[in-house]
Amino acid sequence: MDSELVLILTYIAVPLLFTFAFPVFSWAIGRWYQGTLLNALNEQEKQQNAAFGGHLVGSTSSKMTTLSAQSSVLLHTSIVVGPSMGQMFFMWIKSIFGGQLHSYDVVIQYGRREVIRRLQEQATHLGCSSIVNLRIETSTISFAKNQESKTSSMEFLAYATGIRN
Amino acid sequence: MEPPQAISLMLSNVETIPGHSVVSSLGLVTGSTVRAKHIGKDIFAGLKNIVGGELKAYTELLNESRNEALQRMMADANSRGANAIVNVRFATSNVAAGASELFCYGTAVVVQ
Repeated sequence: MDSELVLILTYIAVPLLFTFAFPVFSWAIGRWYQGTLLNALNEQEKQQNAAFGGHLVGSTSSKMTTLSAQSSVLLHTSIVVGPSMGQMFFMWIKSIFGGQLHSYDVVIQYGRREVIRRLQEQATHLGCSSIVNLRIETSTISFAKNQESKTSSMEFLAYATGIRN
Repeated sequence: MEPPQAISLMLSNVETIPGHSVVSSLGLVTGSTVRAKHIGKDIFAGLKNIVGGELKAYTELLNESRNEALQRMMADANSRGANAIVNVRFATSNVAAGASELFCYGTAVVVQ
Protein backbone atom coordinates (compact mmCIF):
# COMPACT_ATOMS: atom_id res chain seq x y z
CA MET A 1 0.00 0.00 0.00
CA ASP A 2 2.70 2.39 1.05
CA SER A 3 5.01 1.51 -1.84
CA GLU A 4 2.07 1.93 -4.24
CA LEU A 5 1.58 5.48 -3.00
CA VAL A 6 5.27 6.19 -3.51
CA LEU A 7 5.06 4.79 -7.04
CA ILE A 8 2.06 6.95 -7.87
CA LEU A 9 3.83 9.99 -6.44
CA THR A 10 7.03 9.43 -8.36
CA TYR A 11 5.56 8.51 -11.70
CA ILE A 12 2.41 10.62 -11.86
CA ALA A 13 2.21 13.39 -9.31
CA VAL A 14 5.76 14.69 -9.47
CA PRO A 15 6.00 14.85 -13.30
CA LEU A 16 2.57 16.48 -13.40
CA LEU A 17 3.68 19.03 -10.85
CA PHE A 18 6.83 19.77 -12.83
CA THR A 19 4.87 20.09 -16.05
CA PHE A 20 2.19 22.41 -14.73
CA ALA A 21 3.82 24.26 -11.83
CA PHE A 22 6.08 26.45 -13.95
CA PRO A 23 3.53 27.34 -16.66
CA VAL A 24 0.95 28.19 -14.01
CA PHE A 25 3.47 30.29 -12.13
CA SER A 26 4.59 32.01 -15.32
CA TRP A 27 1.00 32.54 -16.45
CA ALA A 28 -0.01 34.08 -13.11
CA ILE A 29 2.98 36.41 -12.91
CA GLY A 30 2.70 37.28 -16.59
CA ARG A 31 -0.97 38.11 -16.26
CA TRP A 32 -0.28 40.43 -13.36
CA TYR A 33 2.71 42.04 -15.09
CA GLN A 34 0.88 42.57 -18.39
CA GLY A 35 -2.04 44.01 -16.45
CA THR A 36 0.24 46.64 -14.95
CA LEU A 37 1.67 47.36 -18.42
CA LEU A 38 -1.82 47.87 -19.85
CA ASN A 39 -2.85 50.11 -16.95
CA ALA A 40 0.28 52.21 -17.42
CA LEU A 41 -0.44 52.44 -21.14
CA ASN A 42 -4.03 53.55 -20.52
CA GLU A 43 -2.75 56.29 -18.21
CA GLN A 44 -0.11 57.44 -20.70
CA GLU A 45 -2.62 57.50 -23.55
CA LYS A 46 -4.99 59.59 -21.45
CA GLN A 47 -2.24 62.01 -20.46
CA GLN A 48 -1.03 62.34 -24.03
CA ASN A 49 -4.53 63.02 -25.30
CA ALA A 50 -5.21 65.53 -22.53
CA ALA A 51 -1.94 67.39 -23.06
CA PHE A 52 -1.99 67.65 -26.86
CA GLY A 53 -5.62 67.24 -27.68
CA GLY A 54 -4.69 64.08 -29.54
CA HIS A 55 -2.74 64.08 -32.75
CA LEU A 56 -4.67 63.70 -35.91
CA VAL A 57 -3.58 60.26 -36.91
CA GLY A 58 -4.65 58.86 -40.24
CA SER A 59 -3.77 55.97 -42.45
CA THR A 60 -4.44 57.91 -45.64
CA SER A 61 -2.11 60.30 -47.39
CA SER A 62 -4.73 63.00 -47.31
CA LYS A 63 -4.22 65.87 -49.74
CA MET A 64 -6.07 68.21 -47.38
CA THR A 65 -3.44 67.85 -44.69
CA THR A 66 -0.37 67.68 -46.87
CA LEU A 67 -1.20 70.76 -48.97
CA SER A 68 -1.04 73.16 -46.05
CA ALA A 69 2.16 71.62 -44.69
CA GLN A 70 5.33 73.58 -44.10
CA SER A 71 7.57 70.57 -43.77
CA SER A 72 7.42 66.90 -42.98
CA VAL A 73 9.42 64.20 -41.31
CA LEU A 74 9.43 60.42 -41.52
CA LEU A 75 8.55 58.85 -38.18
CA HIS A 76 9.28 55.24 -37.42
CA THR A 77 9.29 53.24 -34.27
CA SER A 78 9.05 49.61 -33.35
CA ILE A 79 8.47 47.41 -30.36
CA VAL A 80 9.19 43.73 -29.72
CA VAL A 81 6.72 41.98 -27.46
CA GLY A 82 6.43 38.39 -26.40
CA PRO A 83 3.86 36.38 -24.52
CA SER A 84 4.85 34.70 -21.29
CA MET A 85 5.87 31.05 -21.31
CA GLY A 86 2.76 30.18 -19.32
CA GLN A 87 0.57 31.82 -21.95
CA MET A 88 2.37 29.91 -24.67
CA PHE A 89 1.87 26.67 -22.80
CA PHE A 90 -1.87 27.20 -22.31
CA MET A 91 -2.16 28.35 -25.86
CA TRP A 92 -0.62 25.11 -26.98
CA ILE A 93 -3.34 23.26 -25.04
CA LYS A 94 -6.01 25.62 -26.37
CA SER A 95 -4.85 25.04 -29.94
CA ILE A 96 -6.17 21.48 -29.68
CA PHE A 97 -9.71 22.89 -29.58
CA GLY A 98 -9.16 26.10 -31.49
CA GLY A 99 -11.17 29.24 -30.86
CA GLN A 100 -10.21 32.66 -29.64
CA LEU A 101 -6.82 32.93 -28.02
CA HIS A 102 -7.48 35.61 -25.46
CA SER A 103 -4.04 35.78 -23.90
CA TYR A 104 -2.38 36.42 -27.27
CA ASP A 105 -4.94 39.13 -27.95
CA VAL A 106 -3.78 40.99 -24.88
CA VAL A 107 -0.11 40.90 -25.88
CA ILE A 108 -0.78 41.88 -29.48
CA GLN A 109 -3.12 44.71 -28.56
CA TYR A 110 -0.63 46.00 -26.04
CA GLY A 111 2.10 45.99 -28.68
CA ARG A 112 0.04 47.81 -31.31
CA ARG A 113 -1.30 50.47 -28.95
CA GLU A 114 2.10 51.07 -27.40
CA VAL A 115 3.80 51.47 -30.77
CA ILE A 116 1.18 54.00 -31.92
CA ARG A 117 1.54 55.86 -28.63
CA ARG A 118 5.30 56.01 -29.11
CA LEU A 119 4.87 57.28 -32.64
CA GLN A 120 2.64 60.07 -31.35
CA GLU A 121 5.20 60.85 -28.67
CA GLN A 122 7.92 61.05 -31.30
CA ALA A 123 5.71 63.30 -33.44
CA THR A 124 5.15 65.65 -30.52
CA HIS A 125 8.86 65.68 -29.80
CA LEU A 126 9.60 66.67 -33.41
CA GLY A 127 6.92 69.35 -33.44
CA CYS A 128 4.44 67.68 -35.77
CA SER A 129 0.78 68.61 -35.66
CA SER A 130 -0.58 65.64 -37.52
CA ILE A 131 0.38 62.19 -38.69
CA VAL A 132 -0.58 60.87 -42.10
CA ASN A 133 -0.17 57.60 -43.93
CA LEU A 134 0.33 55.48 -40.85
CA ARG A 135 1.40 51.92 -41.63
CA ILE A 136 1.79 49.12 -39.13
CA GLU A 137 3.74 46.01 -39.94
CA THR A 138 3.94 42.84 -37.94
CA SER A 139 6.67 40.28 -38.09
CA THR A 140 7.70 37.38 -35.94
CA ILE A 141 11.17 36.93 -34.60
CA SER A 142 12.46 33.45 -33.97
CA PHE A 143 15.27 33.17 -31.50
CA ALA A 144 16.33 29.59 -31.80
CA LYS A 145 17.35 27.38 -34.69
CA ASN A 146 14.26 25.22 -34.50
CA GLN A 147 10.69 26.39 -34.66
CA GLU A 148 9.83 24.60 -31.39
CA SER A 149 11.70 27.35 -29.62
CA LYS A 150 10.42 28.19 -26.17
CA THR A 151 10.88 31.87 -26.82
CA SER A 152 8.92 33.60 -29.50
CA SER A 153 8.11 37.21 -30.04
CA MET A 154 6.51 39.64 -32.39
CA GLU A 155 7.74 42.92 -33.72
CA PHE A 156 5.37 45.75 -34.47
CA LEU A 157 6.71 48.49 -36.66
CA ALA A 158 4.78 51.70 -37.14
CA TYR A 159 5.83 54.33 -39.61
CA ALA A 160 4.18 57.47 -40.81
CA THR A 161 4.81 60.95 -42.12
CA GLY A 162 4.61 63.70 -39.55
CA ILE A 163 3.32 67.04 -40.82
CA ARG A 164 4.49 70.35 -39.43
CA ASN A 165 2.14 73.23 -40.09
CA MET B 1 34.89 50.15 -40.56
CA GLU B 2 34.07 53.73 -39.65
CA PRO B 3 30.39 54.53 -39.92
CA PRO B 4 29.76 56.88 -42.83
CA GLN B 5 28.87 60.42 -41.99
CA ALA B 6 25.19 60.79 -41.29
CA ILE B 7 23.35 62.00 -44.34
CA SER B 8 20.12 63.85 -43.84
CA LEU B 9 17.61 63.82 -46.65
CA MET B 10 13.94 64.64 -46.53
CA LEU B 11 11.98 61.44 -46.18
CA SER B 12 8.29 60.75 -46.33
CA ASN B 13 6.06 57.78 -46.88
CA VAL B 14 3.49 59.72 -48.89
CA GLU B 15 3.67 60.41 -52.61
CA THR B 16 5.31 63.81 -52.24
CA ILE B 17 7.32 65.73 -49.72
CA PRO B 18 4.61 67.84 -48.06
CA GLY B 19 5.40 71.53 -48.46
CA HIS B 20 7.66 70.94 -51.47
CA SER B 21 7.16 70.03 -55.08
CA VAL B 22 8.89 67.19 -56.86
CA VAL B 23 11.07 68.30 -59.78
CA SER B 24 12.46 65.01 -61.03
CA SER B 25 12.53 61.36 -60.13
CA LEU B 26 15.78 59.42 -59.91
CA GLY B 27 14.48 55.90 -59.46
CA LEU B 28 14.28 53.29 -56.75
CA VAL B 29 16.73 53.36 -53.88
CA THR B 30 17.10 50.59 -51.31
CA GLY B 31 18.90 49.98 -48.08
CA SER B 32 19.10 46.84 -46.03
CA THR B 33 20.86 45.31 -43.10
CA VAL B 34 20.88 41.83 -41.61
CA ARG B 35 21.16 41.58 -37.87
CA ALA B 36 21.63 38.58 -35.68
CA LYS B 37 20.76 38.43 -32.05
CA HIS B 38 23.27 38.73 -29.30
CA ILE B 39 23.57 35.59 -27.19
CA GLY B 40 23.58 37.52 -23.91
CA LYS B 41 20.52 39.44 -24.96
CA ASP B 42 18.88 36.21 -25.99
CA ILE B 43 19.35 34.71 -22.55
CA PHE B 44 17.90 37.83 -21.01
CA ALA B 45 15.00 37.76 -23.45
CA GLY B 46 14.39 34.16 -22.45
CA LEU B 47 14.16 35.25 -18.84
CA LYS B 48 11.86 38.09 -19.79
CA ASN B 49 9.62 35.56 -21.51
CA ILE B 50 8.65 34.24 -18.07
CA VAL B 51 6.44 37.29 -17.64
CA GLY B 52 5.99 38.37 -21.25
CA GLY B 53 5.64 41.97 -22.36
CA GLU B 54 8.17 44.12 -24.12
CA LEU B 55 11.66 42.78 -24.84
CA LYS B 56 13.57 46.06 -24.65
CA ALA B 57 16.92 44.68 -25.81
CA TYR B 58 15.34 43.54 -29.07
CA THR B 59 13.39 46.76 -29.52
CA GLU B 60 16.62 48.73 -29.29
CA LEU B 61 18.52 46.36 -31.55
CA LEU B 62 15.88 46.54 -34.27
CA ASN B 63 15.49 50.31 -34.06
CA GLU B 64 19.23 50.74 -34.34
CA SER B 65 19.41 48.39 -37.31
CA ARG B 66 16.50 50.06 -39.04
CA ASN B 67 18.21 53.41 -38.71
CA GLU B 68 21.26 51.88 -40.37
CA ALA B 69 19.15 50.56 -43.25
CA LEU B 70 17.68 54.06 -43.64
CA GLN B 71 21.19 55.52 -43.64
CA ARG B 72 22.23 53.15 -46.43
CA MET B 73 19.18 54.06 -48.46
CA MET B 74 19.94 57.74 -47.96
CA ALA B 75 23.57 57.19 -49.00
CA ASP B 76 22.30 55.51 -52.18
CA ALA B 77 19.99 58.45 -52.90
CA ASN B 78 22.70 60.95 -52.07
CA SER B 79 25.08 59.37 -54.57
CA ARG B 80 22.47 59.93 -57.27
CA GLY B 81 22.15 63.57 -56.37
CA ALA B 82 18.69 63.36 -54.83
CA ASN B 83 17.65 65.56 -51.97
CA ALA B 84 14.59 63.64 -50.84
CA ILE B 85 13.08 60.17 -50.83
CA VAL B 86 9.34 59.69 -51.16
CA ASN B 87 7.10 56.69 -50.59
CA VAL B 88 9.47 55.02 -48.16
CA ARG B 89 8.41 51.49 -47.21
CA PHE B 90 9.84 49.16 -44.60
CA ALA B 91 9.91 45.39 -44.78
CA THR B 92 11.19 42.84 -42.30
CA SER B 93 11.96 39.21 -43.01
CA ASN B 94 13.55 36.29 -41.26
CA VAL B 95 16.42 35.30 -43.49
CA ALA B 96 17.91 32.72 -41.14
CA ALA B 97 17.26 31.37 -37.69
CA GLY B 98 17.83 34.15 -35.21
CA ALA B 99 18.59 36.76 -37.84
CA SER B 100 16.30 39.27 -39.48
CA GLU B 101 16.73 41.41 -42.50
CA LEU B 102 15.52 44.97 -42.21
CA PHE B 103 14.89 46.42 -45.59
CA CYS B 104 13.66 49.80 -46.69
CA TYR B 105 13.06 51.22 -50.12
CA GLY B 106 11.75 54.37 -51.69
CA THR B 107 11.90 56.63 -54.69
CA ALA B 108 14.71 59.14 -54.84
CA VAL B 109 13.55 62.54 -56.05
CA VAL B 110 14.74 66.08 -56.37
CA VAL B 111 12.39 68.56 -54.72
CA GLN B 112 12.19 72.30 -54.53
